[in-house]
Amino acid sequence: MSRQYGSKSTLEGRKASVSGELFTLTYGALVAQLVRDYESDDEINKQLDKMGYNIGVRLIEDFLARSPEVGRCHDLKTTADILTKQGFKTFLGIVPVIANWSPKGDEFSLILESNPLTDFVELPDDHPNLLYSNIICGVIRGALEMVQLDVEVWFVQDTLKGDDTAEIRVRFKKKLEDAVPAGED
Amino acid sequence: MGIYSVYIISKAGGLIFSHDMSYPQGEGEVEYSRYPVQGLVLEEVDRNIMLKYGEVQNPEITGQPVIQVGYSLVSINGEPVVNKCLPDGRTALSVIDDPSSFPIKLKFKRLKASINERIMLMSMLHSIYAISVRLSPEEGSKGIQCLEAQHYNINCTQTRTGVKFIVVAGKSQPKVPELLRKIYELYSDYVLKNPFYSLDMPIKCELFTANLVKVLDSYERERGSIYSTTTANN
Amino acid sequence: MVAYNLYIFDRNCSCLFYRQWAKVKECGISPEEERKLLYGMVYSLKSLLSRLSPVSTRDGFIGYSTDKYKLHIYETPTGTKFILNTDHKAGDLQEMLQHIYTKIYVEYVIKNPHYKLGTTIDSQLFVKELDNYIQSKPFFTK
Repeated sequence: MSRQYGSKSTLEGRKASVSGELFTLTYGALVAQLVRDYESDDEINKQLDKMGYNIGVRLIEDFLARSPEVGRCHDLKTTADILTKQGFKTFLGIVPVIANWSPKGDEFSLILESNPLTDFVELPDDHPNLLYSNIICGVIRGALEMVQLDVEVWFVQDTLKGDDTAEIRVRFKKKLEDAVPAGED
Repeated sequence: MGIYSVYIISKAGGLIFSHDMSYPQGEGEVEYSRYPVQGLVLEEVDRNIMLKYGEVQNPEITGQPVIQVGYSLVSINGEPVVNKCLPDGRTALSVIDDPSSFPIKLKFKRLKASINERIMLMSMLHSIYAISVRLSPEEGSKGIQCLEAQHYNINCTQTRTGVKFIVVAGKSQPKVPELLRKIYELYSDYVLKNPFYSLDMPIKCELFTANLVKVLDSYERERGSIYSTTTANN
Repeated sequence: MVAYNLYIFDRNCSCLFYRQWAKVKECGISPEEERKLLYGMVYSLKSLLSRLSPVSTRDGFIGYSTDKYKLHIYETPTGTKFILNTDHKAGDLQEMLQHIYTKIYVEYVIKNPHYKLGTTIDSQLFVKELDNYIQSKPFFTK
């Protein structure tokens, strides 16, 4: 069995490995299926977040494996920078703008000027609360949890709902620690 | 500097001697004009308030934060923070949380390990030494000789009598085993032969310390000359 | 030179993987206890080294050597730890462990959709790739 990425070790080298449109359509089909399977928008949003989380906890390893220069972050500003300029850029091809820091510096927004997930999407009228791209929130939460950052992530604005931009809010909750081995301390 | 500290651990795992040659202590100050402080996640650790997350970056040099994770809060607006409190008795955290304290200047410092902490860490090393023998994949291994961190090493030797000599040194320093042996010699001369020293007790022999400093100084000089000859050859 | 064995731990103290290439001394306790002991030792050494570091508060632990063997550890920012035991003549193997992480663990474990994070790794493909890699190293002896 030959590995798809075997010879392309850098992030740059595999940019074109899957067509963007195929990805967008696949995601669309997935959300549409969820809409059929679940009753409430809240439940769909939750499912998307959960899926995203499961992707995030794996995706972070792929990201770190290919970006050996990225070490552990020691402040939220650096984390936000790497998340947007490297994470988003690598996997979605966009660089969200970081804005609206809370005075305490524990919360910020990601402003998505474009969102490849929503390229061809019009929300059905009977799903006013559906957060179509909610999977992104889950991915961020899962990925950051793996690097010991417990965060809350949610959509504040969404272009699909008539807002001017898409805005994702990230709130730092706490720093996680390695498990203390049983019987120690 | 090649050698940072020297420790001696008794057979029972007690720290009986500790001496620092050089111990660089980073510190940094940050000022906030308005409430609240931005991005700092502080945590009480023992008697100190430590920065857990949210390093303060140097605006001029990236990657070299002014205040690093692990630094402790030492003063607020010039007033010393002792045991988590200001001289007037208010707790440091409550002052930082109070909008009327602003503008506020916080000074952080990398604190040297206290003597109690060193006793704790060295007794930990003592038991880890034994575990490293037990976990050896090969028969007949002794314990850890060299513990490697990214930026420095802890070199360790145990005598037949169970006393451990420990030297904290920079990366790839020459002739550390010889230095350890030399310190062992000094110990047997100025500590054990001192009739007023009782075994396994903390070493308070001035002659020992003075001679140790001499040995370390000459080690540094020799190391310096090794380095200068290698650079000259290049 | 000899590579004895490799452990992979996640940050919750579970041993995800163990592989042995050479005969190792019995240490007289069950494998579970042995792994717990190893994790506990590494955990303690990590905090000891960061506390005693004269250079930086975020100094990392990369290994230790005795007169007979050498323990190498590579820790990812996600807290996964790769611990390799070799004989004491081995040099710095950080790059090798990093290779195992980036090119073998991430590819064959993390990207395997059937693998549930935090559970024991039983992928034969992973074992095969790992064996091939270790055995391709000049120091590997059976």
